[in-house]
Amino acid sequence: MNWIAVGAFGGVVGLDATSFAQTMISRPLVAATLTAAVAGRPGEGLLLGSILELFALVILPVGAARYPESGTAAVATTTAYLVATPLLSPAVLLLAVLFSLLWEYVCGITVVMTRRFNEKYVHLELDAAAPDRTLERRHWIAVFVDFARAFAVTLAGALIGALALRGLAELWSLNATVAPAILSIGISCMVGASLPLFGGLRERKLAFGLGVVCGLLILLLR
Amino acid sequence: MRVVNSAAALRGFPRAVLLRVLLRSLLIQGSWNYRSLIGGGFAYAMLPVLRFLYRDRPAELQAAVARHSELFNSHPYLSPLALGAVSVLEDVERPEVVARFKSAVRGSLGTLGDRLVWAGWRPVCALFALLLVALNVPWWVAVFLFLLIYNAGHFALRWWSFSFGLTHGKHVGEELRKKPVQKVQHWLDFAGALLVGALLPLMIARPAFPGWGGTLWELALIVGAILGMRFGGRVRTPVALVLSLATIIALLVSAL
Repeated sequence: MNWIAVGAFGGVVGLDATSFAQTMISRPLVAATLTAAVAGRPGEGLLLGSILELFALVILPVGAARYPESGTAAVATTTAYLVATPLLSPAVLLLAVLFSLLWEYVCGITVVMTRRFNEKYVHLELDAAAPDRTLERRHWIAVFVDFARAFAVTLAGALIGALALRGLAELWSLNATVAPAILSIGISCMVGASLPLFGGLRERKLAFGLGVVCGLLILLLR
Repeated sequence: MRVVNSAAALRGFPRAVLLRVLLRSLLIQGSWNYRSLIGGGFAYAMLPVLRFLYRDRPAELQAAVARHSELFNSHPYLSPLALGAVSVLEDVERPEVVARFKSAVRGSLGTLGDRLVWAGWRPVCALFALLLVALNVPWWVAVFLFLLIYNAGHFALRWWSFSFGLTHGKHVGEELRKKPVQKVQHWLDFAGALLVGALLPLMIARPAFPGWGGTLWELALIVGAILGMRFGGRVRTPVALVLSLATIIALLVSAL
């Protein structure tokens, strides 16, 4: 595993989340899949990313609210998962999902710290001789600090996660169906939880009902 | 392109200056902070216009940079609308009028973008990608289509909002009210609910791992989905806690 590349990709993902463009490579679905694709295991990355995406869907970055940062955590967790197990392992996948949900909060704290830094740094008095150049320089430094933050928190998450997942996975000796059972309950809850984003069941019963019919038809036809 | 060209010619801004403002708007949240929110980023994005307008007046440039660094907020994809309108106003209005305009639009641009993009377009595109995953399409198809469709809407909105701001100047509020925003939101909500509905049977009847399933568990998954529908985003932390607890119990049982 190239740890510097993991950190650098985490940095780019961190920038995409807020500082630059928001093209959504910072969504767990994309970030986890691309991380795993580089390691030659895109299928497992897609599975992990899809589960984390369901948990991230209900987080709305509204105004100045503080929220967990799911993109960098997804890169860190996917790396940790890939290091911890050479093959698809539902138990390690479950542990990885839980680690990611925890690490998102750590990433979110570092975002708040960066914003506090910006609060002081950006508002220092502007150089009277070239205020435009000073503003530009500070803005770019703030962007760089965000990249460095995301780099560090991704790398730290990947290393800690790899150690934790490896250690815990060795303890796991239960039947192979237990981990998928636990995960599936969480998945179904989070799919349902995304409906209120669109007005809830009462408001959208026609659309939701049509969707269920479509889903059942797909099941029958395939 | 035509709108930007005509607006640029109308206001006397070179096209390159306006394009630079639009490109810089991609970095508008670069120095996000709790004091001025995206104020610093707004001033950063405005710099090409300010340098053009105050090219021989350094004192006025300094004052303008300071004015535009003050508190401002907007949804990032709709910030070009404010940048376009303020570029026009900066040329023809007094600083107090520009400040009042910025203060008037900052709340509505934030709310509008949050509703249309963060709570509409983004989850719809993500659910579509998840549906593709549930249908077992190759990984790159799901990821590529998600990025392509989402960003087609994203960059179209940035481009449209910049042109709209340049064209309507301080009248953007009135002009925006004439747009069918409610209708767009209604169709996004419809598409989102449809996708959730389509995804649920696939998730419940076709578990992610082969060799696992059964009627009792399908029933448990339906109950889980109903709880999710009932409580929405509030279930996120309880679900994470329940999964953690179940995992800890499983690990303890394993260790015994």
